[in-house]
Amino acid sequence: MMLFTIPILSQLETVMKHVLIWFHTSLHLPWAWAIVATTVVVRMLLVPLTVKQIHSMQNLQRYAPQMKELQKKYKHDRQKQNEELMKFYRENNINPAASCLPMLLQLPVFIALYYTLRSFESNFHVGPNADLSFLHFVPDISAHTTSFWGGYVLLFVYVASQMASSYFMMTTADKTQRILFMVMPLFFVFIIAHFPAGLVLYWVTTNLWTVGQGLITRRLVAKTPAPAPERRSSRTSPKPETAAAIQGDGAQPRQEKPVAAQKPRQVRRKKKRTSRR
Amino acid sequence: MSAVLRVPSLLGVGFVWLYRLTFGALFPTTCKYHPSCSEYAVQAVRRHGLVRGSVLAGWRLLRCNPWSRGGFDPVR
Repeated sequence: MMLFTIPILSQLETVMKHVLIWFHTSLHLPWAWAIVATTVVVRMLLVPLTVKQIHSMQNLQRYAPQMKELQKKYKHDRQKQNEELMKFYRENNINPAASCLPMLLQLPVFIALYYTLRSFESNFHVGPNADLSFLHFVPDISAHTTSFWGGYVLLFVYVASQMASSYFMMTTADKTQRILFMVMPLFFVFIIAHFPAGLVLYWVTTNLWTVGQGLITRRLVAKTPAPAPERRSSRTSPKPETAAAIQGDGAQPRQEKPVAAQKPRQVRRKKKRTSRR
Repeated sequence: MSAVLRVPSLLGVGFVWLYRLTFGALFPTTCKYHPSCSEYAVQAVRRHGLVRGSVLAGWRLLRCNPWSRGGFDPVR
């Protein structure tokens, strides 16, 4: 296995090297921004995959109450719980949002960047005076993140962005799993601290992209189906699933119309009164 | 003899565990299939050996994309 992987790794490293050199020499980007640009290009290539993922995730939220019931029912048997959940997906023609391929496609980039940054000076023949800084607070992207104070800032940004991105890309309704995903970055900080700062920069960029993508797709796709089921779940949980689904469709506009209609009227009246007085 | 023959598949299983402890933990994702892709890979390698098991696991990973349906999909 190792014999196969090592040549692939060195090839990945050369590809990454050429990409970074192209950004640096052709577009005159500093090295740190070349990493950011590479990340953005990778994420742009993955857009069709992630957009589809976000759409099915929002579709999935409509079924959240029923799925929660299933999870409660098979609380003690995880195997059975998973199987029943999969059956539920199939019956309702749901496409589960999570999938391994988009994540796996990012792995080679990550590994290549790690190896490229590890021997940065010899890879790019940069002199000791080369500008490897990023936004004035990271002096050297090839150095360990904790070797300068700006690295701690970068790590803080990483934790925040990781939490935000896992909030947006949360694909499970399972509460413990959700909490686990949110808390995880706090532990990974200790591992990541030993990585070159450029790699953390890649991570932060890709996370911020995820957050931006999540915000945009949430705005573009109609907001109505997402928040409504959460309200319904507490009220209609004892009723049968089908009744809940029918009721939900009726309850949705009822709940939203008054809210949408009241707010602007109140504001207008207040404005008119103040202007007259 | 059988112990020697099992070495390649054990290597494959070890490789999956290496992934689980490193990248699997760093990039948390949930799989749309049951058993999950990594569990599928372990079972496939155990049942069919390293070569055929790896091919099966690779094919499963390709199927685990946003356009597929997912669901219950055990190793055959």
